[in-house]
Parts: sequence; structure tokens; C-alpha cells
Amino acid sequence: MVSALASCMKWDYVDPEEIQTDGHGLFIINEGNFQYGNASLCYYDPATKEVQTEIFLRANGFKLGDVAQSMTVRDGRGWIVVNNSHVIFAIDADNCRETGRIEGFTSPRYIHFVSDDKAYVSQIWDNRIAIVDPRRYEITGYIEVPDMAMASGSTEQMVQIGQYVYCNCFSYQNRIIKIDTATDRVVASLTVGIQPQSLVADAYGKLWTICNGGFEDSPYGYETPALYRIDPQTFSVEAKFEFALGDNPSELCTNGDGTRLFWLNDDLWQMAASAPRLPFTPLIESRGTIYYGLTVDPACGDIYIADAIDYQQPGKIYRYDSHARLLDEFYAGITPGAFAFK
Amino acid sequence: MRPYTLKLCLIFLCIVHCASCIAQRSLREVTVIGRRPMREIGVQKTRFDSLALKENVALSMADVLTYNSGIFVKSYGRATLSTVAFRGTSPSHTQVTWNGLNINSPMLGMTDFSTIPSYFVDNASLLHGSSSVGETGGGLGGLVRLGTAADAPDGFHGQYVQGIGSFSTFDEYLRLTFHNERWTSSTRVVYSSSPNDYKYTNHDKKVNIYDDNHNIVGQYHPTERNVSGAFKGFHALQEVYYDDQNGNRLGLNAWYINSNRELPILTTDYADTDFDNRQREQTLRTVLSWGHNRGRGWNTDIRGGYVYTALAYDYKRAVGGEGPMAVMTRSRSYVNTFFGRAEGNIYTRDRRWLFTANISAHQNLVRAHDKNIVTTDGNDAIVGYDKGRIDLSGAVSAKWQPNSRLGMSVVLRREMSGTKWAPIIPAFFIDGVISRKGNVMARASVSRNYRFPSLNDMYFMPGGNPDLKSESGFSYDAGISFDIGRSHVYALSGSVTWFDSYIDDWILWLPTTKGFFSPRNVKEVHAYGIETKAELSVQLRSDLLLDLNGSLSWTPSVNRGEPMTEADKSVGKQLPYVPRTSASLTGRLTWRTWSFLYKWAHYSRRFTMSSNESTLTGHLPPYYMSNIVLGKKIALRNVGLDFKLAVNNLFNEDYLSVLSRPMPGINFELFIGISI
Repeated sequence: MVSALASCMKWDYVDPEEIQTDGHGLFIINEGNFQYGNASLCYYDPATKEVQTEIFLRANGFKLGDVAQSMTVRDGRGWIVVNNSHVIFAIDADNCRETGRIEGFTSPRYIHFVSDDKAYVSQIWDNRIAIVDPRRYEITGYIEVPDMAMASGSTEQMVQIGQYVYCNCFSYQNRIIKIDTATDRVVASLTVGIQPQSLVADAYGKLWTICNGGFEDSPYGYETPALYRIDPQTFSVEAKFEFALGDNPSELCTNGDGTRLFWLNDDLWQMAASAPRLPFTPLIESRGTIYYGLTVDPACGDIYIADAIDYQQPGKIYRYDSHARLLDEFYAGITPGAFAFK
Repeated sequence: MRPYTLKLCLIFLCIVHCASCIAQRSLREVTVIGRRPMREIGVQKTRFDSLALKENVALSMADVLTYNSGIFVKSYGRATLSTVAFRGTSPSHTQVTWNGLNINSPMLGMTDFSTIPSYFVDNASLLHGSSSVGETGGGLGGLVRLGTAADAPDGFHGQYVQGIGSFSTFDEYLRLTFHNERWTSSTRVVYSSSPNDYKYTNHDKKVNIYDDNHNIVGQYHPTERNVSGAFKGFHALQEVYYDDQNGNRLGLNAWYINSNRELPILTTDYADTDFDNRQREQTLRTVLSWGHNRGRGWNTDIRGGYVYTALAYDYKRAVGGEGPMAVMTRSRSYVNTFFGRAEGNIYTRDRRWLFTANISAHQNLVRAHDKNIVTTDGNDAIVGYDKGRIDLSGAVSAKWQPNSRLGMSVVLRREMSGTKWAPIIPAFFIDGVISRKGNVMARASVSRNYRFPSLNDMYFMPGGNPDLKSESGFSYDAGISFDIGRSHVYALSGSVTWFDSYIDDWILWLPTTKGFFSPRNVKEVHAYGIETKAELSVQLRSDLLLDLNGSLSWTPSVNRGEPMTEADKSVGKQLPYVPRTSASLTGRLTWRTWSFLYKWAHYSRRFTMSSNESTLTGHLPPYYMSNIVLGKKIALRNVGLDFKLAVNNLFNEDYLSVLSRPMPGINFELFIGISI
């Protein structure tokens, strides 16, 4: 009777196991739910259509953490930015074993490698971009963003053209900043629309960003969302393509050679980077859900869309070819929000 | 042995011997079903006795509910947010009243039971499902009815209890009472504090051991301390009652709370920066009441009150590890509530009919500033809302007891929130004596119920949805109970109730593509099951009494809505964080002035995913928890002493009850009480 009343509870330990990520596949970074600590990493091999789930936990024997925001793969190593665990883990991209970690962040979002010994880490709730030395796994300095308060601080995705890194300031912000990688300082700021959510460079050396327009009754403002094209040389807006008020465009990305732009706005849309106007019809129509993540395979142009369903169960990934033909669909982890190609 | 020492021993033995002469607890009397109270025809109610409420001063109502009912209480330690799932519903589907005043937060729609010290409650009961309709609307799961009583011995009396526990925890309780024929005054004060920095082995994290070239050569799970889990809570309750000996009773209740709680970090947090993550609250709840009852076949109760709540949430981090802190979030919310309630009951002369009517009004005024931002032109802007809303609720009922075996009751309730009226809320109850031998009774009820969205649901910035519909529920239940015993030998009672509820337009907060959450009416839930209770008291010997009290609830709560997308696997599955089975058991052995209490609670595994998948990252195995309390009373001439030793997490379990929240191992608290 004592054993019936007593200890059958277990806070499980997970023994590490051998993981192998074959081929040139796709890591899926699943955010999990804020404050649940249930972020996870998956790997999909397009050649075999096999999915491996929870590979970080299974390879290392401990949890990935709370809200895995993004991942960058460089030189056989994957750098996973775990936003609410305040850490970036580096793993071997072949076996997912940890090789090191960088701690000490406020709330990291994305990592951009300037060189082998310097990377920038954007953050939220901080008006500074951290400068890290990936070889020594430590923060070496900060880039302060001018005219930005800590409490509403936000720097997000980064794109490098030449010696300059451009970064969109997202939450409660409206700017693109230009950083000189030689001096690690912000040298210019460009005001765009309310809340630029993502940032890419196209084949023609132009920058593109989608501003989501804020939300109704926001004290920060509410306007028609728009797609902006920016000339990095003059650092000014060249063109502005407006959506409809109330639209929710997000997840701007390009194909491998940068000639086409893709984004989500209920449906999946695509446009040639040289096009003079927004398309009239979507490439892939919505399934009546909110698509949460999008990426395009730089090698073959396959499109991956993430459906987070209700954000409390494993999300589903749909894989299309560049002509919008469905090739595969599979389940990943909770709230799949980002992708990284191996 | 020296004479002086011998004298001391003799005195001690005398004290112990005399102590055995004081009245010990005796077997409860078995209720004989004659004329049953008409107010409770067909009602399914669980009453918490004073032993459960006054067990030790460190307990909150969350602990009382966990170990004395079949309700699932979700919390992650002392002074953490503690919410309930009553019959498989959400925390905002359980209404909570205190002396007639609804104390659910008008912003969130739910109650944090860790903020209610159990020593501040004199009577507490659960009204399950439909049984709540007579008192209030919106109780799709049920009602937790709390109240204080003018219960004090004649003259001046005082009680002080000091608790000293693990992790530098201190609990202090003081009560001063005065009572004579007309006046009763009671003052209660509680102060609790703890850094709450218990140690635990972190299964979710690993620390690396590096060689000189920064290669990882080893890893281990670190032993860590619970960080940012400190709490300080001060509660004061002042009550004054006046009885004019002519059927009128006036009452004043004023409850002040000053609480300061840090929010602990997750097991998966690698931050090494100084930070402050803290919630502070000041609340004053006052109720003024007048009741009239001269036993003439009618009675009335009119009460009114005022509640003020100020909530502050601050999140600060040091810039660059240590040093001055930068403010990340500074959130301030202010709630003013004006409340009024009137009730009347009238019996027919033959006492076969009882007609009741009650009406209540809560005017809530909420000013919530969620976040301070600085716009790019340097101006301050506030993200939040400033809204008022009146909630009216009124009911009439007719109860009929044609004979001593049968009773029936109809309740019709109408509610209004803001300017929206809910459809009529009807409820029908019936009960009957099946057999006088064994006091076997059957009861059944059916009702329709509605819950209005909370102010945050409608106006939270960003994401609030003013177009939300009310959640609605249809429920019915049927049960049987018995009560047998033999005077001074044993008393045994039990009940089994089956219930079935359908809740539509369940409000769920879902992320949007703009990066924030927004509520929608999306779910349809079928919550059903069986609740069982049993109580046994046995007088083993004239000075030895055994009490056992158990509850077991089986509560499947299933998503019956449409799939949100073609990929949705949640339809037909159990709701997240609602266990299918919850159980509790308390066993108390009282021998003269000694008592031994064993408490046990169990929840079946909880799914953290709506699809009920059980991954390595997100599953919670079944929960079993045992606590014991050993007590000793000593009565001196004018003073009573009471010693208690509480041992929590008796088997030193290494566990989680909420994902990524560490829990303490075995811990102790010693209480020393003195009463005059």
C-alpha cells in the first residue's frame, strides 16, 4: 500500500543516443510555448522524406530550452538561438552533439556571422546587438542602437552586403539600421513603415523588408502594411508596395539566387524581384489556418510552409516544388517557426 | 535524581496527565434525514470542515482543495499561481465568492487560490456544476463559496502561531477576538515570508566541462537553487458583528492583502545576469451586511462592498551582467469594484414551499497599463486599457417539498454584462429519499449556463477581441449518497455522482501573425465523468479516533469541436493540463492530545499537448504526493499550547507538476501555537 501511495513519480532523465543527420536536409526549429521550456529541433531529409524529431534532446540528454527562435548553419556547425533561455547552443550539424554555448544574452533572436571569429546577435528587450566570438563562445562587446530604449528595444534579422550589415528593428519600431562591420557601430538609420518584420537581399543587391503595419488601437500606430525595396548604396526607400489595411504579411524570404521573393499573407505569395507590382493571385492558397513559417530550398527551390495549427500540438510542414505541387507533408514539433538548411 | 529535577518531571507529568483530561475530538453525529434543508434540494455540495481549513497557518485554499477534494489544482509550489480545473473546465469557469462578493479577477476571470490563507476562511464549500446556479452565474465548472463567521468564545481571547520551516520560511498568525451577547469582533493577521531557494537537481539542463581547447570532455546535471522564488505576504482580516437579539445582524468584513512575490526562473534558463522579476499586489476587500431572520418564515440579507486592487509587475535586468538595472516591463493595473447584493427567502406556512430571490451587481472599473514604450519621436505611450463594466445577476427560485421524501427546485437566473444580456439560465433540481435505512438519497439536476468574457479577453492591448461571444454550457448530473453509523462507534458516508457537460464557444488565446495572441471562441468541449466521496470516522477506543476522508474524480474533458485545420489532431482528445483522474485522501488519528495526519493527492498524467502526444520534451507523468503532520496539544491553566510538525513531500520525490518548474524535495515546518 505504501508503494501505491508513494514514489511512482519521475522527472525523467534522457540518455543521449546516436543521431545522424544524413544528406543535405532541413533543420526545423520549433519554438514550443513561451514559459513551457518545450522548444525542440527536427531534421528532415528531402531525399528519403524521413523526419527525426527532438534530435537536440536525444543527442545531448538535456532540453533545448524555452522558445528556440532561429538557427544558422555554418561550416558544419549549427547555431541555435534559444530566445527565452538566454543562450545560443552550437551543435555538430551531422550528429547534433553540442560543441559549445554562448551565454549572457538579454533575449537573443538571430545570429549573423561576419567572419569566423565575429558574429552579431540581435535581441529583443535590449537596445544592443551583441558581438560574439564564436571560437571562444563569448560575448566580446555590444553595438548600441541610437534612439532606442531598452524596454522597447528590438533588433531582428540581419543581411550583409559588402562590409555593412543591415538589420530591421521590429517590435514597436520602424527602422532599418546600417552597421559598419569594421567599426561595429551603427552608421545610419532608415525609417520605413511600422514594424518591419523580416529582411532579405535580392539578386540585384537590393534590400527588401515587409512592414506589418502594427495593430488597431496600438499607441505606436496602425497603418497599411507594405513591402519596401531599399537601395543600400543610397540607403533610401526605392519602392513601396502596399497591401490592404488589416492584412498580415510576414516571413519574407528569397529563392536561392535571389531573383524571386516569397512571403505569407494568409496565403503564400511570390513575386519576381524585378516586378513592378504585387501579384494578384497567390502561389499557394491558405488552408484556412495561420501559416507560421516559410522557407525556400536554395538548392532546388522547394518551398516549405509551417502550419502551427493551435500552437499546442506538433505543427505540420507542407513541402511544395517551385511550381506549387505538393511533394510531402509531415509533422514537426510545437510551433515550427524557423528553418535552416544543412 | 536531584529533588529539583524530580519536581520538574512531576510537574511535566502532571501537565501531560491533565492535558489528557481536556475534551478530545468525538465522533460526528450521523445526520438523520427528517426535514432536510429546503435551500439545498438536489444540490451537490462538498463541505470543508474546520479541521481541513485550520490545519496549519502556512496553508492556502489551494492546499485545502488539493488534499480535500477531487478538483485538480495546478500550481508549482508555495506562493505560485494556483488555479483549478473543476469538472475538467478552465480556471475561469469556476466562480469564487467570499461573503457573497465575487472575487474572480475581472481582468483575468479566474482566481489565484494561493492568495487566500486557509485560516481566513471559516466556512468553505464547493457547489458542483449546476448546483452553483442558485448562487451565481458563470460557474460552468462550479462555485467555491468562502465565508467568515461570527464564531468566537465569550470574552477576550487570543491565539498566536509561529511557523519556522525549511528554506528560511517563516509564518506568523495572530487572532484576537471579543464576544458578548451582542458584539463580536475578530482580528486576524498573517505574515509569511521565505526566500524559497530550495535546492534541486536540474534534469532539464547540463553543465559542460571543457579542456584547454574548449572541447567538451564531460557533462553533468547541475544542482541548482530555485532562483527568484522569494515571497512575502501580509494579510489582515477585521470583522465586527452586531446582533440586536431581535433577528437583525449587522456585519463588517475587511480583508487587506499586501503581497510581494518573485517569479521563479525556468529549469531551462541559462541567464547569469542580475534581474528582478516581481509581482506585487495590494488589495482591500470590504463587505458590509445586514441580515434579518426572526424565524417567522422569511428572512433577508442585504450586503454591499468595495474592492480596491493595485497590481504591479516589474521586470528589470542589469545591463552587462551586474550594475544598475534597466526596466524591461513596468505594468500597473488598478481595479475598483463596487458591489451590492440582496437576497430574500420566504416559506409558506406549511413549510412545503420556499421562494427565494437574489440580485447582485458588480461595477468593475479597470485601468491596466501593460507596458511603457517610448515612441521614435521620444514620447511615452502606454499599452493598456481603461474600461468599466457592470455585471448584474439575478435569480428567482421555487422549492417544493411535498413530503419528507421528495424535493424539487427550479431556479431561473438572468445575467447582464456591460450592455449584453445572456439568455435565461434555467436550472432544475430534484432529490428523494430512497431508503431511510442508511439515509440513502438520490439527487439530479440539469441546467444551462453562460460565462461572459473577461475584460482582458475583450480589451487587452494588443489582441483583445471585443466581439467575443459568451461561453455557454449545458450540464446535467445525477447521484446517490448514503450516511450510516452508530453513535460513539462509527460514522460512514459516501456519494457517487455522474455528470455530463457540453461547453460551446470556449475562449482560447491563439497567436496571430502579428506576433501577439488574441482570443477567439473556438472550442467545443464535452466534460463528463464521475465524482465519488467517502468519509469514515471510527471511535477505536474512548480516547482514540480515526477519521478518513477521500475523493476520487474521473473527469475526461474532451475537445469535440471542428478541426482547426486539416492537420489538427486534437479533436477527440483530452484538454491539456486536465488530468483524467484526480484523487485525495486524508487520514487523521487522534489519541488524547496527540494527532497524526496523513495527506495524499494523486493526479493522473497530464498532457501538455492538445493532440495528447507524449514526447520526451513535453509530458508530465502521474503525480503522487504525501505529507504528514504530527501534533500535540498541551493545556495549562489559562493557556493552551499547540505544537505541530509538518513534513511535506514525505518520500522526497524528484518531480515536476508544471513543465520546466522545479519543485522542492522533502521539507519541514514546525508550528508553535499559544491560545488564551
